[in-house]
Amino acid sequence: MRHTHLLALIAVLIAAIAPDLLLAATEEAAAVLEGAPKPSRLDYPMIGNVSARTVVWSAAQMHLFLAAFVLAVPLFAIATEFMSVVTGDDRFDNMAREFMKITMAAYSLTALVGGGLLLSLMVFYPDLMGYMVKVFRGQMLIYAMLFGLESITLYVYFYSWDALRRGNRKYYHMSIGLLLNTVGLTLMFIANAWTSFMMSPAGVDAVSGAVTGTVWEATRNPLWNPLNLHRFLANIAYGGAIVGGYAAYMFLAEKDPETKAHYDWMGYTSNFIAILGFLPLPFAGYWLMAEIYAYSQQMGITAMGGILAWLFIIQAVLIGTIMLAANYYLWSGLMRTDRGAQYAKYVKYIAVVIVGGFLVWLTPHTLILSASEIQNLGGTHHKILGPLGIMPAKNVAVNLMLVMTFLSFQMFYRSSRIPTVSWAKQGNMLVVALYVVGIVNIVGAGIYGYITPTVYKVGASVPQVVSTLTIIIGAVVIDVFILRGAKAEKVHWGRMTERSQYALFVLPVAFTWLMGLMGYIRSSLRTNWHVYTVMKDNSPENYIPTLGDAGNTITAITLGFMAIMVFVFWLSRLGQTKQETVEDAA
Amino acid sequence: MLGNKWVVFVVALIVWAAVFYFIDKSIMEFQGLPVGADLMPV
Repeated sequence: MRHTHLLALIAVLIAAIAPDLLLAATEEAAAVLEGAPKPSRLDYPMIGNVSARTVVWSAAQMHLFLAAFVLAVPLFAIATEFMSVVTGDDRFDNMAREFMKITMAAYSLTALVGGGLLLSLMVFYPDLMGYMVKVFRGQMLIYAMLFGLESITLYVYFYSWDALRRGNRKYYHMSIGLLLNTVGLTLMFIANAWTSFMMSPAGVDAVSGAVTGTVWEATRNPLWNPLNLHRFLANIAYGGAIVGGYAAYMFLAEKDPETKAHYDWMGYTSNFIAILGFLPLPFAGYWLMAEIYAYSQQMGITAMGGILAWLFIIQAVLIGTIMLAANYYLWSGLMRTDRGAQYAKYVKYIAVVIVGGFLVWLTPHTLILSASEIQNLGGTHHKILGPLGIMPAKNVAVNLMLVMTFLSFQMFYRSSRIPTVSWAKQGNMLVVALYVVGIVNIVGAGIYGYITPTVYKVGASVPQVVSTLTIIIGAVVIDVFILRGAKAEKVHWGRMTERSQYALFVLPVAFTWLMGLMGYIRSSLRTNWHVYTVMKDNSPENYIPTLGDAGNTITAITLGFMAIMVFVFWLSRLGQTKQETVEDAA
Repeated sequence: MLGNKWVVFVVALIVWAAVFYFIDKSIMEFQGLPVGADLMPV
């Protein structure tokens, strides 16, 4: 028992000390008054024909993919572990351990690519890195220290799973998990501070870039918290999507029905986690974008009104793909329950709304037209498609898609439960009325945007979001009461088609592509600045590449990451494979 | 127990409409965007 006490004590001490270390760094007096470097083209080292930007871009994006996955999985692993304690169901515990097993295989790759990123930044952009070190000083050492702590806690958390599985020991184990997640999130917040500082610098002189403030001032720059929230939610969704891909891989690979049932359940849970993180993500994205506009209107216009705007159409296609794949998987899941067929008749209506929303979302506002096309159209905007290309229509589309996705979840959940309360029918009517009024309100707020001034149009998007959340929360609360003491029906885990598993593969591919695309947009908003308005990029590649070139690079990085993931899945499966003994073979 | 389900449905429609109206009006005004009883800008 002694070593578990010691571990717990260390965990508490580190948790208590870590904020002090951070504050110590932030309170450090700023004494560097030298301005930001002004490197000339010759100050950027050239190595043959190697494209410095592409190397750093690829390493940064790959590191982000891996880090997002490695940071997110422990978050829902500990939530799943907690579920095992609450329910006493060992299946949750086994699944949480399996989540962590995939993370372990990816962890060393994350560190490896992170090291590659650091080296490539130092080789190709030494002046920028020198400036960043001046701004963030001791925080970079704290980051390195936390990374060490992350490694220790991750290994201890995983390898102590069986040793600390029962009774009070379980709480020690979860404490280690909590520490792991605290350290992981702190690492992400620190890295986000560096990234967001490059977009919206603070704590430095606005003209010369001289460091005038503390590390904390540079850290809490205007875009830090919107980025923190957006990445936190995106990581949850991304991690869920990837372990869902793993579950699908194992479901297809395994032959034993019991094992298939386990991976079907794991796939369902992972999809649930992915959608749970995904539902609030558009709203976090709106906040980030609103803060970008508030910080620099020029930056906002570059994103949504300039060359990068067309990438938002591709974003819409990818998000629509995610929605369709996730919903298709949920609809397929109705066959797991005997009463699922009763709900299948509603699927076509949900599909119409989701496909309709998808089409509206990807409708561009401004078309690239020739003179004769403009003449034929009678203007630069199509009379029907034009109005659907602006935000009120897109807000309606995205909110309805989210509501319908939640409805798909609710149908599956209800398909395995028969309410026993006497007021079940009336309760259902409460839920139906909530959906009807909520949807009317979302559509109404969209129409409102067309007939009111711009400021009201933008303002009306908030009630739309709140309507979506009200429907979801209201339906969950009413269901809790309706299904109290409900008769549970058997869920036939494993009774799924193989094609449904391919929907689970679509999710991580689309998520990875989407993150690569949106990361590129966010980074490109700095245009020809390393640190926006403070330190200019004078390298030979200080321009925004053509959309085609950017698309090719993002796709290549996505393919590279998917290859790594297949390798990680294969490694995990290899770890479970046992060679037959001579007796077995006989 | 609570009466005919369609009666409940109609009452629920009215109650939810009132809830959403209250939410819409409060949020717009909270954002510094004054609206009248018809929710149009004033």
